This record gives sequence, structure tokens and C-alpha cells, in this order.
Amino acid sequence: MGYILHGLARAGVLLVRGDPETYSAILTTLKVSSLSIVVSLAFGIPGGFALGYFQFSGKKQLRAVVDTFLALPTVVVGLLVYAFISSRGPLGGLGLLYTVPGIAVAQTVLVVPIVVSLTATAVESLDRRLKSTIITLGARGRKIAFTSLFEARFAVITAAVAAYGRAISEVGVSMMIGGNIKWYTRTITTAIALETGKGDFAKGIALGVVLLLLAFIINWLLIFLKRKA
Amino acid sequence: MEGHVSKVAEKHQPIYEIRDLKCSYGDAFTLLIPSLMIERGDSVGIIGPNGSGKSTLLRTLAFLQVPMGGSIRYRGRKLSSPQNVNTLSVTMLLQEPYLLKRSVFENIAYGLKTRGRRPDLTERVKHALVQVGLDPVKFARRRWYELSGGESQRVALAARLAIEPEVLILDEPTANVDRQSAFQIKEAIGLIRRKYGTTLIVASHDHLWLGQIATRNLEIYDGRVSETGGANLIQGHWQGCKEGLWEYRLSDGQRIYSINPPGEHAAALLHPSSIIVSTEHPEGMSARNILQGTVSAMHLEREPGKVRVEVMVSTLPFICSLTVQAVENLGIIPGKRVWVVFKASSLQWH
Repeated sequence: MGYILHGLARAGVLLVRGDPETYSAILTTLKVSSLSIVVSLAFGIPGGFALGYFQFSGKKQLRAVVDTFLALPTVVVGLLVYAFISSRGPLGGLGLLYTVPGIAVAQTVLVVPIVVSLTATAVESLDRRLKSTIITLGARGRKIAFTSLFEARFAVITAAVAAYGRAISEVGVSMMIGGNIKWYTRTITTAIALETGKGDFAKGIALGVVLLLLAFIINWLLIFLKRKA
Repeated sequence: MEGHVSKVAEKHQPIYEIRDLKCSYGDAFTLLIPSLMIERGDSVGIIGPNGSGKSTLLRTLAFLQVPMGGSIRYRGRKLSSPQNVNTLSVTMLLQEPYLLKRSVFENIAYGLKTRGRRPDLTERVKHALVQVGLDPVKFARRRWYELSGGESQRVALAARLAIEPEVLILDEPTANVDRQSAFQIKEAIGLIRRKYGTTLIVASHDHLWLGQIATRNLEIYDGRVSETGGANLIQGHWQGCKEGLWEYRLSDGQRIYSINPPGEHAAALLHPSSIIVSTEHPEGMSARNILQGTVSAMHLEREPGKVRVEVMVSTLPFICSLTVQAVENLGIIPGKRVWVVFKASSLQWH
């Protein structure tokens, strides 16, 4: 028990004094997850909206595929992305392996199904009277689609926040694609894994506290948005 | 000259011209209308039991539902969906209002912004709120979840009034609201009719109110429409009895007699002018139907000197038309026990 308390005390010192290694991991995490969430939303929201809004043949089957991707093991995603972006893979020439953009690509693959699935659910849950109401007030064509998406905004933002939470707490793909390179691709989660392995609990605990704080903020946002919706 | 002639022609054209219309509501029923014309400025009341096709007809007229067959001409142009025409000025208030997840102001402004009517936006929104009896200062900033059911319906109506539609379609506008809201809604509808000559198409179970505002009444029963001038609709289970008559037993044991219904579950129409109201049990009358009931409501009719009296016989409402003089002489007031008298042959079949 003594080593845990000692670790907690040292963690406080590291954070307050601005330990460079600790803050490098924090900044890399924020960079990677922010990049991946922006790309995920850019593709995921329109994709999710189309999946939820339109009727087409094969819709049920496509929805099943997307929902299956939600449960994909992260090591499998990491393996697939590694295979594509390694020097022997079809995208090896882009030099993404062991880089921050490379981790962002892997996290995007992991997180896009979350955005698509939750956005589709949000759109499908819209009140049946919405379309009749806005048509009768004069909406036509694209205006109907944009208004419908705007009406689902709280649920869509909830989807984005949930996806961001998934991205920042991800360790598997970050380790496999990023390589956990100090000052470069070391994130909060990969650093915790490394420091725990080394027995340096202070750094691990410090990073864990930051991750907990981020998770707390995200959960608070989710509760707030669910109430709004 | 040609432009002037075509404008004059357009002014005299019916606003709706329906031919051989066929709409379905799943497997429940099919609405069939061989012919129906609604003139500009008409105020049409639509009456019928639940599930008869009222909402389907209204949604079709609002171009929210595409008919399976037949044609609808709006201002002379054949249309089936609102996508065909950008300048459609038809709007509909649903029975259960839906408000966008925004403030009251934004809800009312939505239609104006969509139709590009941005000048004086704030003034138009405020004016619409006043029309439905809501204080703009208190209500404009309220969020959709901060409104009662009646307030929501009034805001939804205000959103339609703000765009000054040519046609306003209303599906049971006062069905699920409190009394004050119902009053304000009725007042607002009456006002825009008088002020702008808006064509109104209203489905309601409130026969007395329809009697006040409607210039025409359509009855819908089992997907069939007929123009009945505000007749009572008696939907019964008819059973053969003596003397070649058919009877329908009410829940309080009284019976309505008719002649030759086309089927056991046929709907009969009884015009208010065929009903005699008596404050005492009439003796020695040839009419077979002498039913006891209670006056439940009264309303002045559009026609001067006439009063619409609703008498509840068991659970069945009978709308009767009396002169003001008769009402005074008989001392008819809500709550009074009366007898409604009519011949078996007065019942016509829908």
C-alpha cells in the first residue's frame, strides 16, 4: 500500500512541476485523438445520417455490418491498419507507421463505426411528425435533411463525445501503430502501460489521474447532453 | 391583357379540384373521392368518426401524402407532392403538434425564414404570438420543453399563421388542449378567416364550433365523403324489428328506428332541421323516434337568428337547429332535460 501512496504523492509533484515527459504524452494524446475525431465526424456523421434517414435495399444488412464493427477487437484493427501502412503494405509509401498521423488513422478506423451507428440511431429516433411539420412550413429538398440533422444535434454530439472518449482511452492500436516512441508517439495510455511494466508507478499514476480527469469531463458532458436531448 | 385575363381566371378557379382520388391507410381502409371542389375562401368542416379517413384526406390536401390514384389540382395545377412547387402556400396543423427543439421565437420564425420572408421577422413573430393569445415578452424566449400542451398547440398555430397561408388545414386543433387554449385557437382561426380570407379546412368533433365557422360540411365515413350540410351521423348496429322497421339500441335502453338500412352497420345521416325539440314528452305523434336527452351545449349559428343545440341522448350527441325565439320560449339551457323527435324516414343513408 505504501508504494501506491508514494506513487500518488510523486504523481502530484510531476504534474505540478510540469514534468516534460508526462506532458509530452498528454499533448500527443490530445493531438492524436483530436485529429482522429475530426476525421471520424467528417465521414461518420454524413454516413450515419444517410444510414438512418434514407430507405434503400440492403439497409438492414449494412446496419448489421456497422454494428458489428462496434465490437471489433482493437488488436484486430491495429493488425489490419499495420498490414496496410507498413512498408510492405499498399499504403507503405505514405510513411504513416510509427507516426502521430498513423495512430490517428488507426483510431479513426476504430471510432468511425461508433459515430455512424450512434448518428444513425439518433436520426431513426427522430419524431415521425418532424418531416410533416417542416414540409408544411415550407422546407424542401436539402433543407429537410439539414433541419432533421439539426434536430438530432444533441444525440449526434453525444455520439461524438462517446467516440472521443473511446479514442483517448485506446491503447492497443496506439501501441501497435505508434510504437510508443518517447517524445513522439507516446500517448497517455501507452506511457501508463510502459511505466507500469517498468515499475515506475508515479508517472503511471500521474497520467492515470489526467486520463481519469478527461474521462470525468467527457462523462459529465454526456450526462448534460442526454438531459438536453 | 393576356396576363390580366389569366390572373382573373386564376382568381375564379377553385383552389382544389379533386377527381377520382384514391388513398389508403395501410390495410385499414381506402379513401375514395370521385369528385370534390373547394373554392378559394371556403371554410370546410370535416366530420367523421375516428378511423374514417379524415386525417388521410387532410394530409393528402396538404400534399404530405401521395395519393394512390386520381388527381388533385391546386390552383389549376396538377400536383401530388409539395416538392413540385416551391411557392406552395398550404400549411397544416397536426392534431398533436410538434415543435422544433428551439425557442418559441425560432419555431415561429422557421417558416418565415424558409420562405425567404426575413424583413420584419421579429415583428411578424410577435404579431403571430399575439394572435394566439401569448405574450411575446413572456413566451418568445421559452424553450420547447417549457410549454404546456395548450401553449405548444398555440405556438404551432402561430408558426402557421405567421406565413399567412392561402390554405390552412387543421386536424382536430382543439382536441387535446385546455379550455383557454381552445378558446384562443378558435379566436385566432376565426380572425385570419375574416381578415385574410384564408381558405380553411378543419376536421373536428366539435360540431357546434364547426357550425359557427364552416360554410360547408363534409362527412367522412368508412373512406367515403359526402356533403351533408352538418347532418348528424348515427353509426349503429341495426337489427330488424316489427312493422318493417330497424332499430338501434342505445346503451341506456332507448331505441332509434329507421327504414331499410343498406347493412347492419350502415351509417345514417339526420339533418338538424329534421329534429323537433320538446321540453315535455310529446303525445300522439306519428314520429317513431322520441328520445329523451339532456342539452349539453349551445352556440349561435352563422345564419342570424338561429341556434345550434347539442342534446346528449345516452352517449350520442344530436345537433338540432332552433330559432332564437324557440330557445327563449322553451327555456332551453344547458342541463335541461328535453325530448328529440324525428321520423324514421328522416334518416338517410351514407
